[in-house]
Amino acid sequence: MNSPAKSAITKPPKSKAPPVTYLLATVALLSLLFAFPQIVDSPYTLHMMILIFLSIILGESWNILGGYTGQYSVGHAAYFGTGAYTTMMLMQYAQVPPWLGVWVGVAVAIIVALAIGSICFRLRGPYFVLASIAAAEIIRLTALNVKSFTNGAEGILATDIPPLKLGAILITDFSSKLPFYYTGLILVLLTILMTWLVQHSKLGYCLQAIREDQDAAHSLGINLTLHKNIALIISAAFTSTAGSFYAVYIGFIDPTSVLSLDMSVQIVLICIIGGIGTIFGPVAGAIILVPLSEALRSNMIAQGLFKAGLVGEESSIGIFLKDNLAHSHVLIYGILVVVVILFMPEGVLGFISKFVHGKTRRGVS
Amino acid sequence: MTILELKNVSKFFGGLAANTDISFSLEEGKIIGLIGPNGAGKTTLFNCITGFYPPSQGQILFKKQNITGLQPHQICRLGMARTWQKVRPLVKMSVLDNVMVGALCRTNSLKIAREIAMEQLKVVHIEHKTNMPAGGLPIGERKRLEIARILATNPELLLLDEVMGGLNTSESEEIIQLILETKSRGLTQMVIEHDMKAIMRISDRIVVLNSGEKLAEGTPAEIADNQEVIDAYLGESHA
Ligand SMILES: Nc1ncnc2c1ncn2[C@@H]1O[C@H](COP(=O)(O)OP(=O)(O)OP(=O)(O)O)[C@@H](O)[C@H]1O
Ligand SMILES: [Mg+2]
Repeated sequence: MNSPAKSAITKPPKSKAPPVTYLLATVALLSLLFAFPQIVDSPYTLHMMILIFLSIILGESWNILGGYTGQYSVGHAAYFGTGAYTTMMLMQYAQVPPWLGVWVGVAVAIIVALAIGSICFRLRGPYFVLASIAAAEIIRLTALNVKSFTNGAEGILATDIPPLKLGAILITDFSSKLPFYYTGLILVLLTILMTWLVQHSKLGYCLQAIREDQDAAHSLGINLTLHKNIALIISAAFTSTAGSFYAVYIGFIDPTSVLSLDMSVQIVLICIIGGIGTIFGPVAGAIILVPLSEALRSNMIAQGLFKAGLVGEESSIGIFLKDNLAHSHVLIYGILVVVVILFMPEGVLGFISKFVHGKTRRGVS
Repeated sequence: MTILELKNVSKFFGGLAANTDISFSLEEGKIIGLIGPNGAGKTTLFNCITGFYPPSQGQILFKKQNITGLQPHQICRLGMARTWQKVRPLVKMSVLDNVMVGALCRTNSLKIAREIAMEQLKVVHIEHKTNMPAGGLPIGERKRLEIARILATNPELLLLDEVMGGLNTSESEEIIQLILETKSRGLTQMVIEHDMKAIMRISDRIVVLNSGEKLAEGTPAEIADNQEVIDAYLGESHA
């Protein structure tokens, strides 16, 4: 007889080598992603891919602080905007190329993060959330009002950009999406690698213990302040990098687009929808949310209804939909998000894995 | 050798005196029972000793070092670990991971931490639940998980807050055996318990708290005979 106790001990520790199939699938997926712009050259599709990459980077970054450490910051626009503004201002006003500016952005974002952390980490639970929102709002209002420095509500449009060369390739050519596609893809892979490393290290254990129970973690020898700040620094640095990437890609920033509460909420939603505290949750969240919000914004739903013949385009309902659906895309988006949160509290990935596990378990017994 | 010494420790919550002027000391390798009616201030005293509440007055010495005002994680590193009256498992993490968090207090290697954790899970006899989420354990095993977790921090002094609370007779007996085993390995333990039979049996000395004050201190036999203690807490049945 094989007692459960015995089999549990003799089982090797869980870090077993990934099976060959996983490895092959990963290699295939990566090749596909790198070859993608060669296969598909529609600028719109590439634009969507770049937006998805951006969302993945933001989601993974937030996940370190929110998902693994349990500190639900709803003020990550502060770090996104800091990266965006620093890089943009250096590029526009001082002709500093963005791949240098991004590091200055990271440095400034870390300083901002430590300042915000020193206030917010005194608080727990909902009080922490509120403080993180307030701190980000302070940064937004500052950017809005220090006009001589940030150009206030008018924002900054990248115009006087010097010829930017990376090796032999001229990349001031903003009409091509290729440099951004590959930069975005590499940043995605880096943030996923970073998350994997955190999860499989002592740091990951400490962060998750803090998430599960701060007092228990504290009593087991974990320095709460130190570890929360480490998580915040990692999270802010990667969020700031995403901000720099966004600023250079879009070529225009203003306080509303990069520093608003809306931005902070979007970042959190990527993780909530995909699955908090997992490596691939933010990936799933980004793949779902970006196309969804894009479809709603461009009135694709009304078009779809017309095409399917469900609603006549010229009927009174059709005209109403055409006029209003695009404007209410935020509302519809909100309702969909609430529905997902209600029915899949562990996010889409958690839902799928529960579904699959449930099936296999039934299949085995 | 004295391992822990309390000098006139008081803790006030606003006007409420949860601990008043408490002094006693612990001998290395012994078990000290801490008893008293509900609300007597036992858990509060644990919180003061382990750094969760700064004492309002007084001094706490651990291994001759003044630890008053140190943070909980610093005190844990010095070799003192506590369990929680209301258990605090890291629910979404596995049983093994819970104990590894304790072990990581002494090592940076996940591999070594995993070995230490497996060892301690065997000590408390829940090694067959290694990969289960800690949230899925029944109360008896949760209590033992708490003990495994603090043993993994390699402590010299353990503070156990009602680790038998809510358990049935056989589960309690297992915990008693565990405490005695731990004692035989030379560790010092301070045990809060309402089960008088158990506490009389395992303690070398007993401290009695009542309304935040130390009412009495002595061997189990002395405490059982102490008229004040009988009046305030034990009642006639244990005399
Ligand atoms: N954080 C706090 N703030 C205010 N009052 C508190 C706090 N913690 C404990 N108290 C009060 O201090 C007194 C002592 O509580 P404590 O939990 O230490 O008692 P106890 O001896 O552990 O009781 P029990 O046997 O029920 O666990 C109680 O009156 C309690 O209400
Ligand atoms: Mg208590």
